[in-house]
Amino acid sequence: MSISVSLPVLPTASSTATTSVDGLLEAARPCTLSQCRPGSRATVIGLDDCGSDEACRLRALGLCEGTAVSVIDARHAMVLDVRGTRLALGSALTAGITVQPLPARSARR
Amino acid sequence: MTDLATPVVEPTPPTPFAPADEAVLRLALVGNPNTGKTTLFNALTGLRQRVGNFAGVTVERVEGFFRTASGRRVACLDLPGSYSLSASSPDEQIALEVLLGRARDGWRPDVIVVVADAAHLERNLFLASQVIELGVPVVLALNQMDAAEDQGISIDVPELIDALGVPVVPLVAKRGQGIDALGRACEIAVTLPPPSRQFSLPTAATELLAPVVARLESAGLSTSAAQLEALRLLSVQHLEPHVADVDGLEELRKTAAVTLGQIGLAPQRLESDARYGWIGEVMARAVVTKEQEGRSFSDRIDAIALHRVIGPAVFIALMAIVFQSVFTWAAPMQDAIEGLIAALGSQVGTLLPEGDLRSLVVDGIFAGVGGVLVFLPQISILFLVIGILEDSGYMARAAFLMDRVMRRVGLHGRSFIPMLSGYACAVPGIMATRVIENRQDRLATMMVVPLMSCSARLPVYTLLIGTFIPASTLPFGFGLQGLTLLGMYLLGTLTALAVAAVFKRTLLKGPVRPMILELPAYRWPSVRTLGVTVWQRAMLFVRRAGTVIMALSIVLWAMATYPRTEVDASLPDVTQAEQQLEASTLGRVGKIIEPVVRPLGYDWKIGVSIAASFAAREVFVSTMGTIYGVGSDEDNVQALGDRLRAERDPITGEPVYTTLVAMGLMVFYVFALMCMSTTAITVREAGGGRIGWGWAAIQFGYMLVLAYGAAWIVYAGGRALGWG
Repeated sequence: MSISVSLPVLPTASSTATTSVDGLLEAARPCTLSQCRPGSRATVIGLDDCGSDEACRLRALGLCEGTAVSVIDARHAMVLDVRGTRLALGSALTAGITVQPLPARSARR
Repeated sequence: MTDLATPVVEPTPPTPFAPADEAVLRLALVGNPNTGKTTLFNALTGLRQRVGNFAGVTVERVEGFFRTASGRRVACLDLPGSYSLSASSPDEQIALEVLLGRARDGWRPDVIVVVADAAHLERNLFLASQVIELGVPVVLALNQMDAAEDQGISIDVPELIDALGVPVVPLVAKRGQGIDALGRACEIAVTLPPPSRQFSLPTAATELLAPVVARLESAGLSTSAAQLEALRLLSVQHLEPHVADVDGLEELRKTAAVTLGQIGLAPQRLESDARYGWIGEVMARAVVTKEQEGRSFSDRIDAIALHRVIGPAVFIALMAIVFQSVFTWAAPMQDAIEGLIAALGSQVGTLLPEGDLRSLVVDGIFAGVGGVLVFLPQISILFLVIGILEDSGYMARAAFLMDRVMRRVGLHGRSFIPMLSGYACAVPGIMATRVIENRQDRLATMMVVPLMSCSARLPVYTLLIGTFIPASTLPFGFGLQGLTLLGMYLLGTLTALAVAAVFKRTLLKGPVRPMILELPAYRWPSVRTLGVTVWQRAMLFVRRAGTVIMALSIVLWAMATYPRTEVDASLPDVTQAEQQLEASTLGRVGKIIEPVVRPLGYDWKIGVSIAASFAAREVFVSTMGTIYGVGSDEDNVQALGDRLRAERDPITGEPVYTTLVAMGLMVFYVFALMCMSTTAITVREAGGGRIGWGWAAIQFGYMLVLAYGAAWIVYAGGRALGWG
């Protein structure tokens, strides 16, 4: 089964330049969390496009501006490492979270 | 305290050190989900628990009682699991009201115990930092210390006490470690001044929030709680009910938010920035984490459990076990219970004189008791299995895997288990909807669970398929009878999904909230917690649904018995029973509804059987047995089948039961809610009282309309096509 089948890639300008090779995201531009690959790390910049209620919940769960998250799994939804906890987020949310990709600490998969 | 006057068994003898009139200490237990909060609650209180609802809402209220080592009596309230005090669900709203001392029943905590997962302390401290500002004594219970140590996390408890300003007690609740120390810490905490905020906001923010704080104080909140609420309300969309009626608060809040935005402090993120900023400092001071080699134990299991191919296979295998356990493991126990109750009933019956009293006791009361107890094996097994899935951490993974499929009909992952349970029996299935947090989704699931073909429909399907569907073999070894049975199950399942979609778009309209799901670390479930949960569910069922089932059972017995009629005593017993039933209220009801069921191809005999089967679907078969004079024993199904095939319409001489009528009847039973136990449990789980009865009526009504319509389409449509 191919991994990339179910990933809806948003046709934004920023998506073209970045996610080519895992771990080689130097000087990557901000993108949405949904565009990050499994094993990559990113710092949350904004939660503005998730809806205010959901943003409030996410912040309480520790996923707030400035938090570094790791992508454990990415399919229609994502599994993230947030402050040591595992959070599964639906695609509507991951597409609404803006992040700054970080150089990968270590490839997990 | 009125709490003392409860019928709770109190096995602990009063210790000589405690004065008899000493006030009870009221303790509220709060914490994130998956912190072992319920395990701690059970370790503290054992079975000395009372389950009820919070006044006016459907949120479950569990209160327990215990004595501390020094003999102080404690009333302990287990609040619903919350990630924060921002009330985004009815559960969290209740927790917030109780903690602020604004619960409608007037219950105010003397001390609040925040249960935190030591292995995920950073996230847990967010709620703790909010609770610390409520102006009530707080104790932090640091649970699952063993798991934290295994993960290389060491926590400097004295340093943490210093940073938080509240007592901190390390615990392993499932092994009972630290329980006594927690009791002592609570007794000490109430003698200390209440804790308060341990960090400060930017000066500008404090100044801008001052009017909001002042307004909240004038509304009765303590200074500390007012500061907490002022900060918290900046990040929520609407004022929650407990502050909605504070005059002018909304305007003050808006003004503060706008001005904060103008000076570059985003109001929505002010609270999370401040709290997590402070939490970062606390973590740096008190917690050392050794970097682990490779992936954690949980991540390794998830590599399998959430694998794209293996994951669904594991899921299906586990669900098969759930289904199998509820469907088959319970059967011998149910037979034993039914046998025992029936034997007891007839034993008691022989002590009574022949007549109505004996009939009432044997066929009314004992049948009613049996009708209640017979569900206990299924309910216990289902809640045991659900408890294992939930406490081990797998349930969240199952919800994750099913989320995408269920989302298509407007439900989400957690609706799956209740619907699957519905194949065995709708009663435990509806009770299992408690795992769904959102009320709209919970109700929508509850409404459709009875459409899943339950085990009680099987006797009806078996009788009709065995009698009217030829046992011919189709290619690939499929039998026509088996395929018909499969068809009935599929019909119910697909309709359930479709109806759920309709409910979510009409009566239960609401946004399908995007998935935010914590996947807790895997762990072994606690046997004690599982035991207490199963016991609670079983008792709740007996108390709440049991009484209704019992009452309806006696009403149905009376309708099938009265008025008495003279029957020729020389006729065989079965013929006497047939004539008696025909003359009874139930028989007359059958005659009255005959014109209604006529378009479906039914006569009054089927009408009576359908009416009687409201007690439980399988009663259809035994009532048919009584009407057709073959007796109501299960062994007579073969004889009943022969009798049905031979039955002719007295006027036309045509067979009454054609394959078409049988198909229509089966489809009728796929859809019709002929089960008073389901109705009773829906009333209770949908909120009780008028709300509960309202939803139960909607459920019964739509299913009856669906059943009638579908049976009519089968019968009338089939005849129009010339099939009989």
